[in-house]
Amino acid sequence: MIWQNIKNAFISIKSAKLRSFLTVIGVVIGVFAVLVMIGVGDGVKKDVGGEISSLGTNVLTVASGRIGQSNVQTQNSQQQRSGQFGFSGGFGTSTLTQDDVNSLKNISDIDKITTFGIISSSVQNGVYSSPGAFVISAEPSYFGIRNIKLSEGREITDTDNKDKKYVAVIGSNTKADLFGEEDAIGKKISLRGKEFEVVGITKKSDGGLSFGASSDDVVIVPYDTGSELTGKNEIFRILVQVNDANNVEEVKKAMIDKIKSNHAGEEDFSVLTQDELLGTFNSILDILTAFVVAIAAISLLVGGIGIMNIMLVTVSERTKEIGIRKAMGATFGNILGQFLTESIVISLIGGVIGVGLSYLAGFVIVRLTDITPVFSARALIAAIGVSLLVGIIFGTAPAIKAARKNPIQALKSL
Amino acid sequence: MKKNNKPIVIDLKNLSKRYDDEAGVYDALKKIDLKVYEGEFINIMGPSGSGKSTLMNIIGLLDRPTKGAYLIDGVDINKLSSKELAKLRRDKIGFVFQNFNLLPRLNLSQNVEMPLIYKKLTMRKRKEKVLEVLKKVGLEDKIKNRPNRLSGGQVQRAAIARALINDPSIILADEPTGNLDTKTGAEIMNLLKELNRQGVTVVLVTHNPELSEYASKTIIVRDGKITEDAKK
Repeated sequence: MIWQNIKNAFISIKSAKLRSFLTVIGVVIGVFAVLVMIGVGDGVKKDVGGEISSLGTNVLTVASGRIGQSNVQTQNSQQQRSGQFGFSGGFGTSTLTQDDVNSLKNISDIDKITTFGIISSSVQNGVYSSPGAFVISAEPSYFGIRNIKLSEGREITDTDNKDKKYVAVIGSNTKADLFGEEDAIGKKISLRGKEFEVVGITKKSDGGLSFGASSDDVVIVPYDTGSELTGKNEIFRILVQVNDANNVEEVKKAMIDKIKSNHAGEEDFSVLTQDELLGTFNSILDILTAFVVAIAAISLLVGGIGIMNIMLVTVSERTKEIGIRKAMGATFGNILGQFLTESIVISLIGGVIGVGLSYLAGFVIVRLTDITPVFSARALIAAIGVSLLVGIIFGTAPAIKAARKNPIQALKSL
Repeated sequence: MKKNNKPIVIDLKNLSKRYDDEAGVYDALKKIDLKVYEGEFINIMGPSGSGKSTLMNIIGLLDRPTKGAYLIDGVDINKLSSKELAKLRRDKIGFVFQNFNLLPRLNLSQNVEMPLIYKKLTMRKRKEKVLEVLKKVGLEDKIKNRPNRLSGGQVQRAAIARALINDPSIILADEPTGNLDTKTGAEIMNLLKELNRQGVTVVLVTHNPELSEYASKTIIVRDGKITEDAKK
């Protein structure tokens, strides 16, 4: 019976090719839009996840504000909410101080520690500038913790930092922006009107997207030089490398205690593991993805309404057929099944074409951008499932209308 | 009246049909009694508006009586749900319509096998049966043709094949020659007569008096009543 219904659906779809095509388009666009958005979102997540985990599991980040805490309690729900992003903490003035850094240095299991700040400045070499460059000020240990390798020149040294030298290590992309093929070591770039000597260039990373400070699009200056340049001693983040991944939790607790006592017992900061950092980023990205997918899903809704509309037309056009089938012994359920199958088949065809097109779009996106969309099996199954659901939801009303037709009236119709 | 020992296929007892809608109350059938025995060829005649169509719809299980009983092969239809009625229609009634009513998008085989699909027969059994009935009506070579490739007479023969496919208790033919020329109409009537001779019970509904010569019994419906029960 199901097989017969599917066969009938194809006969009917084939007999009105243009109409079927136009009906299917709605679902195609909906499924396509949703899949591409999810694919891009997952692709970004995967790239960033790779980047963050490449830093190693033994790196802890101290940030101002409460970010990604799993033990935050709110008044409106007693539930614990994990992976939430405190926006004020992320963007407000930092509460971290040099005292915090100094007190952390006493924790025994910490191998390396660095502060870093963000300097908002354009990066220029005469008329050339590097708009994508992210200017940060950091201590020499930053290179070790973030595992930044150089292709040329040297890292920032303790002497650079102590003497507040105007030197900079620049990213491979930044170098290309500012100097092209020319040699850059020893040349000057300007930040906030001050000249900095280029002492090192980072090795180009494997590609993919970067989270925060990519080592390709970056200008790193000594931390103290940065403070002098901005006139502020604001610490954006403190990065800590623990000697062994097994000690991370223990060190984290010790760090929280130390900083808490510096801040008069107030926990106005966060100590995050790489996983938590990733969780925070993912939660932001999930919100963005969900928002875009919700918009894309509206086109699926429109597609579904299109199917319903056409099915209603089909049912009235085929009233006679319904009458004949009922005279031949078709029950309410037989007719319902026939028309419901037809709308499901239309919707599924749209879903399959949408999946195909989003794969094609994936290749185009890889070519044109740095993003590699990820089409997970889960997303594909969901796409097919949703188109099935659209067919059922929007096909039911027309199918019921068909099944309810009075056979005598239906046989009389033209 | 000749005594008939054959089983009764259609048994209408004191049957009435009243329509009660916006247009008002209207009694289409008034206390009708009718018995049709297996193997009969009966002809129901009557002018339009006489209740002839209502009677046909009730006999064809497309409609239910308001009062009275209708037993088909001894089964009282008043006791059946609409789903059971649909199944009974599938198994016991073979419809032949004035305007053929084959589905234009399906070929002859697909049209003819339709009742068997609702009976959930396997494809193999359906194919066998389709070939058997198409042979009976002389269309076994047109099995893959669509109705629009056939003449009116051929289409009506295909419709008769479809009516036969479930080995129904009765073939209910509503003006089967109405859309055919005289010669083709006669062919169709002869086919029905031949099937009747093989044992199929035929109920013919028409307003054409010439067709009554094929029937073993003619009934005239007027104003919702059977006014004449002419016997041969």
